[in-house]
Amino acid sequence: MIKLTEVSKAYLKNNKVLNNINLEVTPGEFVSIVGQSGAGKTTLVRLLIGEERVDSGQVMIGDWDITKLSRREIPYLRRQIGVIFQDFKLLPKKTLLENVSFALQVSGGTSQKISKIVPSVLKIVGLDDKKNRYPHEVSGGEKQRAAIARALVHQPKILLADEPTGNLDAINANEIIDLLLHINKFGTTVILVTHNKEIVNRLNRRVVTMDHGRIISDQAHGKYLL
Amino acid sequence: MLSLFRIIKFSFQDIFRNIWLTIITVTILVVALFSVNMLITIRLISDNAVLAVKEKINISLYIKADTPESEIIALKNKISGFDKVREVNYISKQTALDSFRDKYKNNQSVLVALKELGRNPLSPSLTISPKDFNNSNLLINELKMLDNQIIESRDFSDNTIILEKINNITKRVNEVGLIIIALFILTSLLIVYNTIRVAIYTHRQEIEIMRLVGASNFFIYMPYIWSAFIYSLLSVLIIIAIFYPFLSLLQPYLEIFFTDYNINILAYFVNNFAFIFGSQFIAILVINSLTSLFAVRKYAKV
Repeated sequence: MIKLTEVSKAYLKNNKVLNNINLEVTPGEFVSIVGQSGAGKTTLVRLLIGEERVDSGQVMIGDWDITKLSRREIPYLRRQIGVIFQDFKLLPKKTLLENVSFALQVSGGTSQKISKIVPSVLKIVGLDDKKNRYPHEVSGGEKQRAAIARALVHQPKILLADEPTGNLDAINANEIIDLLLHINKFGTTVILVTHNKEIVNRLNRRVVTMDHGRIISDQAHGKYLL
Repeated sequence: MLSLFRIIKFSFQDIFRNIWLTIITVTILVVALFSVNMLITIRLISDNAVLAVKEKINISLYIKADTPESEIIALKNKISGFDKVREVNYISKQTALDSFRDKYKNNQSVLVALKELGRNPLSPSLTISPKDFNNSNLLINELKMLDNQIIESRDFSDNTIILEKINNITKRVNEVGLIIIALFILTSLLIVYNTIRVAIYTHRQEIEIMRLVGASNFFIYMPYIWSAFIYSLLSVLIIIAIFYPFLSLLQPYLEIFFTDYNINILAYFVNNFAFIFGSQFIAILVINSLTSLFAVRKYAKV
């Protein structure tokens, strides 16, 4: 599903944020990528969504070599991968329903498809009763649920979650992780980037630990090491 | 078709949901357009004023006092035939005297002196108006070479000095006018450019989110280009709604100021409506669209 081969990336000369990374994620896996700030976790996510380019190495998603992706192809890549962020990244002047619909509208989804898929994903994330509210009218947890719903409308095979619980309290954070586990159950590969020790230990799934741009540990049922 | 419909929908949603930003942006565009139209008005007034002064300029040819009127009329007809001459008026000795008396009717000492003289000391004259003010010097040269014994004076030095002065003044007015126009247009362009940049800057997060959810460039750029079209259209419609009543108010004052001259700024704007406001719309649309394009590109970089 995802295969990184000898991937390196540096923003400054002699300061590699990713150093010779080799990582393989199989379909349907739930992988937590952990590490302290500056370990290279977010850079890894940015590489996977085409926001950054590798200096060397290869990134494959399925049969797609995204290291050779043209600018024109990037929107298509982003429609294949659902992404959620710590700061939710919802459009403030659109309702939750519009935010979720937007992802389909901009990729040319028909009105029939949108009216069929959007209400169902909003129901999955438990927001069907708040769909007409604006982001500033709902809680942090609900914003993140809306972001997850938006990430799901393309029915992606991969869901990248970059510190999705960073801005949430413990209760909301656990709810979001439960939702990710629920989505994973349906076959979606989930990559969770976090430095939340409790969540990683509770999950008891594969844990990839990064430090200074390198993978220092990769355990099938791991714990937070650092 | 569906994409176009969605782009227009997104654009209108954005315009109405950010109503204050829309109001401020359109207001600034209207102020910039008002400045440009004011400049056009001032330019028209100054052009008309200069034209009015130039129309007042004429060349007087003084005739010997005892010349029979038939010879004067013959000379008048001859000069009227010159291709550089618009009009020739014959002022007889009596007309000149009446005009002199009228001019000095409140100056008793002049009138007493005239009475004591006991005769009409004024010469008859021909007042020649040139067809084109700029060819006045050529006309003066032709008049200098005119072979006729009844001409009393061929000294046109006063006319030449006045012509030179007027030419210098109008040249200076034109130069200063051009500099002011250039400065105004540049300032307006910068204001419009900055306004649109600020408007797009407030949408930077939105643009970032659009590209993160996989929006194509077409979907990222086009709503802003459409908004630029709407802003341009709105601002030009508002300026039309503001400027015509303003001109209607101004026109009576201009007519009083330029009595005897046919100055009608309102009619000029009505007759050239399509050109004046059409070109303003196109100009502001091009600036808005290009600025939007560059500003969005800055935030939409992959």
